[in-house]
Amino acid sequence: MNERDLLLEKYSSRVFKNRKSHITQLEMSDEQDTITANTRAIPGIATARGCCYAGCKGVVVGPMKDAVTITHGPIGCAFYSWGTRRNKAKTEEGGKNFIPYSFCTDMRPTDIVFGGEKKLEEGIDEIMAIFNPKCIFICSTCPIGLIGDDVQAVAREVEKKYGIKAIGFSCEGYKGVSQSSGHHIANNGLMKQVIGTGDKKPMGKYSLNILGEYNIGGDGWEEERILKKIGYEIVSVFTGDGSYETMKNAHLADLNLVMCHRSINYVAQMMKTKYGIDWLKVNFIGIGATCKTLRMIAEYFQDTELIAKTEEVIAQELEAISDDMEYYRSMLKGKTAGIFTGGSRSHHYQSLLRDLGIETIIAGYEFAHRDDYEGRDIISEIKPDADSKNIEEIAVSRDEELYKERYSGEKLEELKEKGIEIDTYDGMFPDMKKGYMVVDDYNMFETDELIQTMKPDIFFSGIKDKYSIQKQGVVSRQLHSYDYSGPYAGFNGAVIFGRDVTMSIYTKAWVLTTPPWKTAALLGGRIGGEN
Amino acid sequence: MKTKINSLVSLNVNPCKMCMPMGASTAFYGISKCMTILHGSQGCATYIRRHMATHYNEPVDIASSSLTEQGTVYGGEKNLKIGLTNLISLYNPEVIGIMTTCLAETIGEDISGIIERFREENPQYKDITLIPVASPGYGGTQYEGYMAALNAIVGKLDMNTEKNDKVNVVLPPHSPADIRFIKSAFVQFGIDAIFLTDISSNLDGGYDPNYSRLPRGGTAIGDIRKMAGAKLTIEITDDTTTQSPAKTLFGKYGVPYRQILSPMGLKATDAFYRLLSEVSGVTIPEGLMEERGRYLDGMIDSHKYNSAGRAVIFGEPEFVISAVRVCSENGIMPVVVATGSVFPSLKDYVGQAVEDLGVRYFVDGYAIMDDADFKEIEEAAARYGANLMIGNSDGRRIEVNLKIPLVRRAFPIHDRVGGQRLRMLGYEGTQTFLDEITNALLKVTETTFREEIYDEYYKGSGIDKNKKMVEDKYISDDMVKKTMEHPCYNCAGHKYARIHLPVAPSCNVQCNYCVRKFDCPNESRPGVTSSILTPEEALERYKTVKAKLPNLTVVGIAGPGDSLAENYPQVKRTIELIREYDRDVTFCLSTNGLMLPFYANELADLGVTHITVTMSAVDPKISGKIYKYVSYMGGIYEGDAAGAIMISNQMSGLRMLLAAGVICKVNIVTLKGINEHHIPEVVQTCKDMGVYITNIMQMVPVKGSAFENLPMVSNLEIGKLRTECGTIMKQMLHCRQCRADAIGTLDNDISVDLAGFAPEEKGNKDKGKKHMLFAVASKSGINVDLHFGHARELYIYEYTDGDVRFLEKRDVEKYCSGNAYCSEQDDKIAKMLNALSDCNGVIAMRIGESPKHKLEDKGIFSWSTFDKIENAIMNAAKQV
Repeated sequence: MNERDLLLEKYSSRVFKNRKSHITQLEMSDEQDTITANTRAIPGIATARGCCYAGCKGVVVGPMKDAVTITHGPIGCAFYSWGTRRNKAKTEEGGKNFIPYSFCTDMRPTDIVFGGEKKLEEGIDEIMAIFNPKCIFICSTCPIGLIGDDVQAVAREVEKKYGIKAIGFSCEGYKGVSQSSGHHIANNGLMKQVIGTGDKKPMGKYSLNILGEYNIGGDGWEEERILKKIGYEIVSVFTGDGSYETMKNAHLADLNLVMCHRSINYVAQMMKTKYGIDWLKVNFIGIGATCKTLRMIAEYFQDTELIAKTEEVIAQELEAISDDMEYYRSMLKGKTAGIFTGGSRSHHYQSLLRDLGIETIIAGYEFAHRDDYEGRDIISEIKPDADSKNIEEIAVSRDEELYKERYSGEKLEELKEKGIEIDTYDGMFPDMKKGYMVVDDYNMFETDELIQTMKPDIFFSGIKDKYSIQKQGVVSRQLHSYDYSGPYAGFNGAVIFGRDVTMSIYTKAWVLTTPPWKTAALLGGRIGGEN
Repeated sequence: MKTKINSLVSLNVNPCKMCMPMGASTAFYGISKCMTILHGSQGCATYIRRHMATHYNEPVDIASSSLTEQGTVYGGEKNLKIGLTNLISLYNPEVIGIMTTCLAETIGEDISGIIERFREENPQYKDITLIPVASPGYGGTQYEGYMAALNAIVGKLDMNTEKNDKVNVVLPPHSPADIRFIKSAFVQFGIDAIFLTDISSNLDGGYDPNYSRLPRGGTAIGDIRKMAGAKLTIEITDDTTTQSPAKTLFGKYGVPYRQILSPMGLKATDAFYRLLSEVSGVTIPEGLMEERGRYLDGMIDSHKYNSAGRAVIFGEPEFVISAVRVCSENGIMPVVVATGSVFPSLKDYVGQAVEDLGVRYFVDGYAIMDDADFKEIEEAAARYGANLMIGNSDGRRIEVNLKIPLVRRAFPIHDRVGGQRLRMLGYEGTQTFLDEITNALLKVTETTFREEIYDEYYKGSGIDKNKKMVEDKYISDDMVKKTMEHPCYNCAGHKYARIHLPVAPSCNVQCNYCVRKFDCPNESRPGVTSSILTPEEALERYKTVKAKLPNLTVVGIAGPGDSLAENYPQVKRTIELIREYDRDVTFCLSTNGLMLPFYANELADLGVTHITVTMSAVDPKISGKIYKYVSYMGGIYEGDAAGAIMISNQMSGLRMLLAAGVICKVNIVTLKGINEHHIPEVVQTCKDMGVYITNIMQMVPVKGSAFENLPMVSNLEIGKLRTECGTIMKQMLHCRQCRADAIGTLDNDISVDLAGFAPEEKGNKDKGKKHMLFAVASKSGINVDLHFGHARELYIYEYTDGDVRFLEKRDVEKYCSGNAYCSEQDDKIAKMLNALSDCNGVIAMRIGESPKHKLEDKGIFSWSTFDKIENAIMNAAKQV
């Protein structure tokens, strides 16, 4: 019996029926590997998923530093989403930075009964008098839609009254099946009301947007450092260290880079349709991945000077880190890992781990869709269900004034032929090997079980799983907060990651806490650092 | 006494509280083999797991019924039932706590009914105890959720009423380590106790090779059932107003109860052990008396440091009340006591203790607040000069902003490890807590006291025989040279020239003697300038002037508003640009001191070596009379409150500057009938702080200002004051009260001669002039902040090619041109129109449709905006 069957066997028949299609052990049958994703979580199973509000406020719009984001609802959600993601932001010279703040209408029972619009309006008057932001986002929590508060109407009034940008997001927690619905709602709002409203043209020869980079632990800064060294201009970043001021002009960039495909692909797609901007699915996590990404961007622009400069920068950067990487690789080679994250990192980090000689044998996502696993070709086969239908799909059309075709269709095909992955993403499956386990919408039970059957040396996950994994004697590192370390992206990030993983595995504490299955399973291997 | 805090009333900014399900989940973690499920969106469970795991460093599994949109329409019964089934099959619990959320309560879920039906449909689960708790997120904070869960447990369980010899102990949400302490105390006295609930092992578990997914520690449900037959309930609580499980047990089952304070601090711990001794009949053991002695000895050891403590204590009422007790017992003055809960009786609990300390230490400014957010707490901390914070890790932002050390206690601790192990209870726990507090104070003292003592007793003081030498030693050679060459700090510096760069137009206070006006070349006094420069233009002006005046040693920034108000970034940029160009130049800056504590260290780092603070009083009552209003951290303050803020910030800012080695001058404006007798006290205070020189000035009466009719102090009077104060410290006797764009030596201001010569002005002359008049509706005179219809007077500004100048204020009433035009109805609008007939545009915060059209008929455009007046005019001018 393979590990997948061992795991599923423990479920009741009803849960088994649901979960079997969410858990795929690759290449174990002759059929094409598929997976079910983006469907409702099973009640009571302790899913790792969050809610729609978390996806909209917590992930996408929250990191925009010059916007005041107001949580409309009772206090809890505002507290829990206050500074909990490590999306770093630096204050621009003379600019405003509201990242350290959490604003909330703090609704009480009477507000639930009589409605909270008035409180919200008065709150915004106060915000305007005191903080005077250029942009306000209103994010709704569960009760809002139910009691009938109209946040969009309030936002429209605010725009009229103060002449600023205001967007109301109906991202009530229960919408959709996970954070993913919140990403989509946020993408729609930004596309409809922010992107394309500015007119500041980039000055540089080649300009880029980085989409789906939330600057956790400063990742975005490392990416910017490298890209700027080559000579690119960064117009805007969605949305880590991002701003309303720069996002307005995003449509004037030459090319979109997509890091987190799951949370931002809607914007990439819509900008292609509306403004003709091509997008590349990139990965700055891992040295090989970063080099590939940089070369692909240069190739896209078909400029020999740019290509030469790219190679020069790559050579310089590799030179600077090769000794360190070699050392960490010597310490980590042959180890195995599991990664459970949100919707992109479980794929991204496989490259970096491979650089260090670590194979990722378990990978899973909280809220990904099938295309994140199987590639975008599958999208046409995904049937909308009751939950996805509840999330608005906005139709954009070509903006006749601003649409600029970067390359003709023919030329694009030619570039794609050359291996430049334009407007496409192949998902996680192709990068994983036979027998490896892929889990959608994982939960604590499955994590525990897979640790015992697959026996990874290290497990990358988040704070909710961390202590349970450690109690089982397995090294755990957080890939949501990086355990307050980072950056992990780019060349410098790879070294920091190598150092962190090596430190964790070789910490003396683990000598004293051999996991039970390591002693019982007759493998007899000693874990690293043991004398 | 306490000053009214004006803050955001409709919004919570940086919450100092969480919601009910968080506390309820915590309570259930103290029951053995218990799992919890939240009925609502899955985000609630995820958020709470994340926050609890970070604090306790333990696995926290909380299930969710994962309600979707469909559930909100058709009800969540199905989801909850499936959730319960799955939770049971995966974790095999004996008890399940079922908590509601905002969502479940808003759609009106009948949890008890659902549970009843679940039980009927699933007889196989009859041995599993299901406990529902109503815990809507909007219903209260985590503390109220915790208490609601305890109450639900004892109120809804089928209890075993058979009499037993046990003692119930109702516990507040202390750390697992403190709960262990309480448990051990009961063991010590041989009392057979049932703890409601015991989180000590489930939320602070050990490493065990046989990891169990289901939390096995905590109080067994069977024991909890026996609480109905116990001989006594001891409820440990500092807050007797919130719902009480002890009273519930008494009401339902007649179990007598005693409420007792958390054993934190000497007296409360004494009382705790006395009660245990009384209940058990066991004498208090010798060992405990020794512990008590050690704590008392520790209190004595640290009392002298503690007396300097001015603490901010924040968190849930339970924690705040007991922490105030420890502080009070140890002579630490709580200047801000705040809870995020709606808890108006907080004053009843802590008011007396705080007031007593205030009397002892002559501290009369403090605040006791409930329903507070961190923005309010931060403002209060700054206002009352706190030097210590005690509370959860969410105070870390204030710790950074105001540089006040935070002693971390209570929930949550997210930026340190070991929140679950923090101790506060018993003699030893209080001692650990107290040591941390004292050491936080000592850490600051240890790193600053040498300088402070030096400044206090030696620097520039009369008892110092070799004053000059001492000064030179303290101040680096470079600094001495700079001071000698600074015309405003040294008479001998006369021959050196300075340039004032007008880069900071905005101001954050309105002094009663000032009207900020642009361009009045014949007038030479602070606050007056011909134009505002950008940092780049300022650099150009500096370069040009330096070429003409080689004796230019000093670059000053004196407004024309306040250098540290909204334009601070431009000020900073100007300094950086000029520093880049000329390494040797001396920078000086003048300010009203309001924002000084925020920027003092940064200014020192930027290399600003000389700073002048205008501080005309050190008594809040007197200071309050000088300012019409103060705009600070989002609030507008008047009177004593304004005075108190100004003084507190001016003094703390000065102290920070002095600690950073900046030479400080204090300007004192003499205001007849307001502060003239108070001035020696101001000077004495300056001397005590270590200010280099004070400058007692005449007030220049300005038309249109509140003090326009205040008589001027004569030169003779000023001379007398300066002589008198000269016995206290060094006085500046040569002040010329220069303009904000002055250039040259003090005796010869050549800025007017240089007009048109400065490079940035040249270009303008060649362009075709765009000249317009704008009428602005403003309350503050700073921002466009008034509805057009509400304006009694309008500010008239002249716009010429990017230059905005204030012309005059027009009183609408005066423009009424008789009854024919001013009928009752149209009265006001007509007056307004008359008042504006020569204007090109009107700018107001809002303007009605009718006046808008009437203005348009007269060819006057109107704009609605909320912005600084200058910005609004620039924008409007662009659009004309």
